[in-house]
Amino acid sequence: MAGEILVATNVLEYPYTRTVGPVLGAFFTGLREGRIQGVRAADGRVLVPPTEYDPLTSEELTEMVDVGQAGVVTTWAWVYAPRPLHPLDRPFAWVLVRLDGADTSMLHALDAGEPERMSTGMRVRVRWREGRVGEIQDIACFEPETPS
Amino acid sequence: MSGQLCAVVGVGQTKYSSTRGDVSIAGLCREAAGRALEDAGMTWRDIDAVVIGKAPDMFEGVMMPELYLADALGAAGKPMLRVHTAGSVGGSTALVAASLVQGGIHQRVLTVAFEKQSESDAMWALSRPMPFAPPTLAGAGGYFAPLIRSYIRRSGAPDHIGIMVGVKDRQNALRNPYAHLQIEDISFEKVAESPMLWDPIRYLETCPSSDGACAMVLVDEPTAGRSPDPAWIVGTAMRSEPTMFAGRDAVNPRAGRDCAADLYAQAGITDPRGQIDCAEIYVPFSWYEPMWMENLGFAAEGEGWKMTDSGATAFDGDLPVNPSGGVLSSNPIGASGMIRFAEAALQVRGKAGEHQVAGAGQALGHAYGGGSQFFAMWIVRAQKP
Repeated sequence: MAGEILVATNVLEYPYTRTVGPVLGAFFTGLREGRIQGVRAADGRVLVPPTEYDPLTSEELTEMVDVGQAGVVTTWAWVYAPRPLHPLDRPFAWVLVRLDGADTSMLHALDAGEPERMSTGMRVRVRWREGRVGEIQDIACFEPETPS
Repeated sequence: MSGQLCAVVGVGQTKYSSTRGDVSIAGLCREAAGRALEDAGMTWRDIDAVVIGKAPDMFEGVMMPELYLADALGAAGKPMLRVHTAGSVGGSTALVAASLVQGGIHQRVLTVAFEKQSESDAMWALSRPMPFAPPTLAGAGGYFAPLIRSYIRRSGAPDHIGIMVGVKDRQNALRNPYAHLQIEDISFEKVAESPMLWDPIRYLETCPSSDGACAMVLVDEPTAGRSPDPAWIVGTAMRSEPTMFAGRDAVNPRAGRDCAADLYAQAGITDPRGQIDCAEIYVPFSWYEPMWMENLGFAAEGEGWKMTDSGATAFDGDLPVNPSGGVLSSNPIGASGMIRFAEAALQVRGKAGEHQVAGAGQALGHAYGGGSQFFAMWIVRAQKP
């Protein structure tokens, strides 16, 4: 007769370091200073967030470009019941935002209060966090440009 | 060897160091790849496919880094492959890349291998606790030290052999601007007096932890014909065996012996020591030089240490081993095997600079990984076969 088949929990915990390199380094440093920067791609488009290498030609990208702190929602999904680790403790929208001066959209949260206020193409602006450290959460969230 | 001819026409390396805090993983790989393209006189556009390798993902904690590296390595719209065979991966990555040319699939393949050890701690990533059994070793040294002790017992090698290798490879590193360790005052006493880490391995008999990447451009015969200095690949072989099984000789693994025999047969080599001009061999702990001398057929079993002792493997010996300084001087783990392959190519291309072995016409690149269970090797030659 076979013995009991045992099962055990195996926790793997391990600290890592991450080095961001010059392009993302500039982006995160900019966030800490309250600026949003993209990078100019080989075809002239401004990519936000920036990438180190051109997604089409693989060229090294170096020209950082300041973009606006407001833009338009290009698509969105409403979160009716936020989970504990979500960026907001009340219902909100995940949005792709194309900032003024940018040619690509960035994922973030939008504090719109209720889903009826949401529409593709709506104008939104950055709400900065207090005590910024140089990470994407320095943008607390976006908020509608027009007050409700 | 079967298939189409394939040659190395470009080699790129980063300066190996403990921390490359100025670049991302992508930036590190890009630096080596860009230099390989420059050496080959090519641009990203000229490349048909990219083959990338690195050691376990747990080393940096980036799962499947090839996804994130596709744009950095110019792989958009092209085939990209990831290879993984533990520490031998740099070698087997080069062999997979070569096989794409030898098989007639592609004409120009870029191959890259890297490790950014500063973003991790490879020693503890290799020493993960597992349920149902207590941990019994710490790092690669903990695994290999008993095998070295066994080698010493079997061969009767004197204690100073390991120290000699530790000195010799660091002296060679002083000739290689890319080498991580540049120990100007390296001496027998300095190595002998360094702390014992895993008996019989002293601190200065181990490899460093390095950040670095290595890249090569491998091309078909017509493309190589336009290169002023191609390194022709005349033999490639890989072998594997289980980490543990009853009766396994982990000191002198059969997979390594079989791999070398296959390699030499392809290259028409019947007398390795006489026909190979220099060798870049994966020696992360000093004693692996004599051990691999035997496994690779350069010396009879039990006699490998005598090659080290007599100076045969020194820079001015009859078989210079690791003229670049080897893994003992630079160890970006995933790249370390590819560096051996690339350095062998640089030797026969006459492009090894200060560590050029005079008249090197045929060279061996070797890598091993896991628990001495994965082997990858190639022979490169200056003369077109």
